[in-house]
Amino acid sequence: MAEFQHARGPGNEPADRLTRQQFLRRAGMGLGAVALSAAGSARGNGVLDHPHVTPKIKRVIYLFNSGGPSQIELFDHKPELNRLHGTELPDSVRRGQRLTTMTGSQSSLPLAGSVFKFKPHGESGNRVSELLPHTSEIADEICIIRSMHTEAINHGPAVTYLQTGSQFPGRPSMGAWLDYGLGTENSDLPAFVVLVTRGKGGQPLLSRLWGSGFLPSKYQGVRFRSGKDPVLYLTNPDGLDAGARRLMLDRLRELHRADGRSGDSLLEARIAQYELAFRMQKSIPEATDFGQEPAHVFEEYGKDSKNPGTYAANCLLARRLAERGVRFIQLYHPGWDQHGNLPGAIRNQCRETDQATAALVKDLKRRGLLEDTLVIWGGEFGRTSYCQGKLTPTNYGRDHHPRCFSMWLAGGGIRGGTTYGRTDPFSYNIDENPVHIHDLQATILQLMGVDHERLSFKYQGRWFRLTDIQGKVIQKILA
Amino acid sequence: MRLILTICLVLLPPAITRAADGPVDFVRDVRPILSDNCFKCHGPDENARKADLRLDTEKSARAALGNGKPETSKLVQRILSGDPDEQMPPPASKLSLTPGEIAILQRWVREGGRFAAHWSFQSVGDVKPPMVRQAGWVRNPIDRFVLASLEQQQLKPNREASRQRLIRRVSFDLTGLPPTLKEIDAFLADKSEQAFERVVDRLLAKPGYGERMAADWLDIARYSDSYGYQVDRERYVWPWRDWVVRSFNANMPYDRFLSWQLAGDLLPNPTDEMRLATTFNRLHSQKVEGGSTLEEFRVEYVADRNHTFAMAFLGLTLECARCHEHKFDPITHKEYYQLFAFFNNIDESGVYSYFTPAIPTPTMLLTSDGQKAAIARVESKIAESEAAWRKVGGEREAAFREWLKKRPFPAVVPNPLPGRVLHMDFEKFNSGANRSIAGRFGKGVRLTGDDGIGTKVGNFRRSQPFSVSLWINTPDEKQRAILFHRSRAWTDAGSRGYQLMIEDGRLSGSLIHFWPGNALRVLTRRKVPVAGWHHVVMSWDGSNRAAGLKIYLDGRPAACTVVRDNLYKNITGGGGDTITIGQRMRDRGFTNGGVDEFQVFDRRLVDLEVAQLFDGHSLGEALATPVKQLAATQVAGLREYYLETFDKPYIAARQAARTQRDQRGKLVDGLKEIMVMTDLDSVRKRQTYVLRRGAYDAPTDPVEPDTPAVFLPFPKDAPRNRAGLARWLTSPVHPLTSRVAVNRLWQQCFGGGLVRTPEDFGSQGQPPTHPKLFDWLARDFVTHGWDIKRALRQVVLSATYRQDSTADRELVRRDPDNLLLARGPGYQLPAEMIRDNALWASGLLVDKQSGPPARPYDLAVSFKPIKIDQGEGLYRRSLYTFWKRTGPAPVMMTLDASKRDVCVVKRERTSSPLQACVLLNGPQFVEAARVFGQVLLKKHGDNLDALVTEMFRRLTSRRPSDREREILGRAFAEQLAYFTADPKRAEAFLKTGKAPVDKTLPAVRIAAAGMLANTLMNFDECLMKR
Repeated sequence: MAEFQHARGPGNEPADRLTRQQFLRRAGMGLGAVALSAAGSARGNGVLDHPHVTPKIKRVIYLFNSGGPSQIELFDHKPELNRLHGTELPDSVRRGQRLTTMTGSQSSLPLAGSVFKFKPHGESGNRVSELLPHTSEIADEICIIRSMHTEAINHGPAVTYLQTGSQFPGRPSMGAWLDYGLGTENSDLPAFVVLVTRGKGGQPLLSRLWGSGFLPSKYQGVRFRSGKDPVLYLTNPDGLDAGARRLMLDRLRELHRADGRSGDSLLEARIAQYELAFRMQKSIPEATDFGQEPAHVFEEYGKDSKNPGTYAANCLLARRLAERGVRFIQLYHPGWDQHGNLPGAIRNQCRETDQATAALVKDLKRRGLLEDTLVIWGGEFGRTSYCQGKLTPTNYGRDHHPRCFSMWLAGGGIRGGTTYGRTDPFSYNIDENPVHIHDLQATILQLMGVDHERLSFKYQGRWFRLTDIQGKVIQKILA
Repeated sequence: MRLILTICLVLLPPAITRAADGPVDFVRDVRPILSDNCFKCHGPDENARKADLRLDTEKSARAALGNGKPETSKLVQRILSGDPDEQMPPPASKLSLTPGEIAILQRWVREGGRFAAHWSFQSVGDVKPPMVRQAGWVRNPIDRFVLASLEQQQLKPNREASRQRLIRRVSFDLTGLPPTLKEIDAFLADKSEQAFERVVDRLLAKPGYGERMAADWLDIARYSDSYGYQVDRERYVWPWRDWVVRSFNANMPYDRFLSWQLAGDLLPNPTDEMRLATTFNRLHSQKVEGGSTLEEFRVEYVADRNHTFAMAFLGLTLECARCHEHKFDPITHKEYYQLFAFFNNIDESGVYSYFTPAIPTPTMLLTSDGQKAAIARVESKIAESEAAWRKVGGEREAAFREWLKKRPFPAVVPNPLPGRVLHMDFEKFNSGANRSIAGRFGKGVRLTGDDGIGTKVGNFRRSQPFSVSLWINTPDEKQRAILFHRSRAWTDAGSRGYQLMIEDGRLSGSLIHFWPGNALRVLTRRKVPVAGWHHVVMSWDGSNRAAGLKIYLDGRPAACTVVRDNLYKNITGGGGDTITIGQRMRDRGFTNGGVDEFQVFDRRLVDLEVAQLFDGHSLGEALATPVKQLAATQVAGLREYYLETFDKPYIAARQAARTQRDQRGKLVDGLKEIMVMTDLDSVRKRQTYVLRRGAYDAPTDPVEPDTPAVFLPFPKDAPRNRAGLARWLTSPVHPLTSRVAVNRLWQQCFGGGLVRTPEDFGSQGQPPTHPKLFDWLARDFVTHGWDIKRALRQVVLSATYRQDSTADRELVRRDPDNLLLARGPGYQLPAEMIRDNALWASGLLVDKQSGPPARPYDLAVSFKPIKIDQGEGLYRRSLYTFWKRTGPAPVMMTLDASKRDVCVVKRERTSSPLQACVLLNGPQFVEAARVFGQVLLKKHGDNLDALVTEMFRRLTSRRPSDREREILGRAFAEQLAYFTADPKRAEAFLKTGKAPVDKTLPAVRIAAAGMLANTLMNFDECLMKR
């Protein structure tokens, strides 16, 4: 009955098996002060004293392209669909599986071939669509997984599922789990940073996607905003400069130390908290200021990269945060939900993202960061091989498809220049090497040195883990 | 072994390793180890059980324990084994026992291996307060229990906190706000024995008490002003929040407070307040996204109610049992669904309406007394006018006979029939994908099912009679097909409007405000014949009753079943204002169905007219037949035809009734509604099934409402509904209800409960730190009528509560979590109190109770930015802050408020630099600081010392020491110098927030005083409860 076994392992342990770290926490020395101030030590400020396995990477950059990018247009070439264009999806392929109620009532489900061409690229010959000329240039770096699958059929549950391991709200995001388990690598930036493309329409994103769920809220992702305050109320009020703030904080510290008050752990934590806030007032604007980046960098990421809040600017910012030791950098770029007018809309999406995505991987590689960084590209599900709405030779739409979709991984520990998994000629079912989203989560944790079955948290009487009660590391994609 | 144990003792707080001295306590020491490591395979779940060994009951475990000899105990041998095939827990499970745990199990076996039932499932013990040595310290029975355990540990209680600290602590705990300087002074001056009691009684009587209590209850109830999930629209539920505040202030007994929320609608003679209380059960997240599977989310709602019930009232986590037998607690998979059944019987949908603002049913109209009276008046007028109309109908026989004799001859059948507002014959039809075919008469149309045929008519009110006539030809037996409708969409609009469909081969006609709970629907008993043309009419009489909706098949009224008969609001609005034929958004169209001769009338057709439309002669024939040759049915038909068409008194009476019905619409359609619980009647009762692995689409065995067997039986004479459940829950002998309640009251005062896991009173939770005190408190609570104020009063008047929170390092090291209660509570104030305190100190607080949510500054920078209020909405108490699930108030979130997605009974307390940013720079706090500075500057002028002292007192409730005054004086001088160096800085600084700046004072001094307040508002003693 292995499938019934929920998580159990080092997490918030029973009292007599506390780790040293937890003991410190319980003694009041922990909380944000410890999590964020243990400079220099790469490990040991999360709940895990040691990695379970040898870590291959130090950080993750997750390029979440949300809305459900069409695998058929991007990475999963299906010439058969062009031949069968306009004919009905055979029942033998559909096998009675549920559809969304958006196309569930449609009278006909005609197959739609992609209007885009595919070609092998690089030495590996990884097949990539003409929509992604820049990604094609990093074909030898990436491992394309064509056999991703999920059970969720709508955006909210599906994104939540990928990020938290559950379709329903309330569980911690992947970045929160890693922050909880491994702590932070840097002294004055958060361990888990979230960057959302500004002003994109499409299916809404929710702050709970990077939330800490039942973990303490300090593990939640910190969203960097693209405006004047990258972090909520980081900036001093108008009229107050850093010097005046420093004076005020000095007096506050004096007050905290006056009359023999000291030694109280909560008080010490508070003093540390204010000092760290002051350091962040410097370190965060420094990290988000592109002033020192040379012109060729902007050229490489594309002209959008000068425009804060764009996907390209966020890719560049992701590299800067990676350099500064942020452990989990989560980007979101919505807009891939092409129920209709797919060919035109996906062209725009690719134009907004392709160049910067590839630039990020190349840039990381050049700086020697790629070997200990994992870059993930992908959405929450795929799209149907049959058309939603009107089908013409050059125009069509596709509905949500959870049964197969494509993602790619690049960086430390990954066998670049490979393709894993195979779908049927309709890109409808998986023929070979299925990868469930829990398997992907298990693999990401493994690369970070964490056994997904052993990073857990007891909440409301049950042990929880990111991969719920499933998940197998995808050994074959690992170098 | 010995060495390892010693190390444990050194490293760990001794409070936690009590097992080292005294006998092993099964519940406290042993069961948690077994539960964590063994029960998965050797616990209550039969399906998961290995080796037929069960370790959760004494009888079944006995054989494995040996007779007091660890050497003969299989359990001990297996856990000590180094052989991977023998070792328990098996290495593959990735579980392992620590040496300390092994030692406990060995000792337990040696001591006889006795079991005890899980403490919280046993009835509350009848305990007497113990005798203590230091009796002089004791103020009430609570203290005896606490002191007895301290004395056992050879500890002494801490000194009493200073009066300033005490009044500050208790004011926050009971009202969420600090004491005023006057209140502090009065308390300091009151030298009587009852001084503190007087303070407490005064606080309990304040309206702020209810607000403070409500803040915690909103977490439990997962209260939010928006629906949640992705789209997360605003919703109207705050009247329930106000009910909570009122109930706490009125000191409603806890058993009633629960019963009303659980089942107010089902209790005898429910008032509006009682029904409003049940909104509690509807506060879960709700879905609106198109494409969602309705049943999946409806089941999720019921599950949420179930989990909330268990966690909020019983302190239990049920989730395990949703998919399989509970692994740790004796709650079966089946029992989960028996409890689920109580909450699974309301007329609700899995999504709310995207295109209309309809309130998801069931709902209650929120009416003032005046409105209620007006509605009652109009209802009685409607009844009167309908009676008068019927009466006239009966009295017009002579006039009818007269007409029958004198009818014009030859007969004239008007063509078209009067009131026709649309006729489509499809002779010259050209509409995209739909095909012209041979119709019933000439040409007709064959529909694709994906392409609707629009019209320009049909936006009828519910009081407006109308009829629709058409010929259809269905190629197959449709499971679901839309024939025509006036609505924007199916689920996305809650089906608002009216419609005629085929459902499982039958004709289904509906008028709908929000499906299913605010609608009426009739369904024909017979199926529509497949293949061939058939005539269909739907006619509506404007009555608002299902009986007024008629369906005719081939000229004759079809016998119908009433599916729903509960329409109480308008059927207009939401878009899609005119009739569409054959297709609807995200619904199934009339695929390959034929339609011909589509006609719409703005009145009710009578039977003879419908027959005429079908056969082209029935009415004409009847009109042409001489009186004596008329069949009885023809006479009846003609009577109806005459009255409806020609009889002036009858028509006048009909019009009078219609006027009253219109009046009702005007009165009711605009009224506010709120989601409540209303059970489906016995006919429509929803059957609950056990769901395999919790999947909404995998029902297995049917179950009836029942409560888990382990606690106490369901009362024999109680109804099997939520009212019965409420009786079961509030039984004085229920082992959990009172314990869970007093634990939370304790937590409210001490920061942690006597059970530190208020979310889990089951075997995975922590046992109470003071079991006897806990039982005594629970019993005392019930004995005194579940009186919340009394219980709180008793706790805060105890010497235990009055202890100072500052303790020596040795004690902190020994008992970091204050499990022994050898000191008073000390922790950061909850989010609401931190913000409210800043507003209160500065005088900005608008202390107004109740009403729509307020939108303060930080909502503008939430993840889903919200337009902020102008004026008082910026300064209300945080309880009233607008709560949007996908973009909750950032200040509140940073300060550890609950997210309110699901029931939460305990908040996490964290410390992060993001909190410092909010408190240093957040506009709400900066504004409060500068206004506070300004107020005191105005009051004290150049007397800096007075200013510093008052500011310090208002923010900490005590006077500053000389050293503190000196530091603050320096701080002021420094900031003054900074602002004076460039006065523009001061002007910029004072622009934060919307509160006016006093132009009569020097800006640089206001700014400097503001920064002084900013400093103190970040001072530990301002933010901490000490």
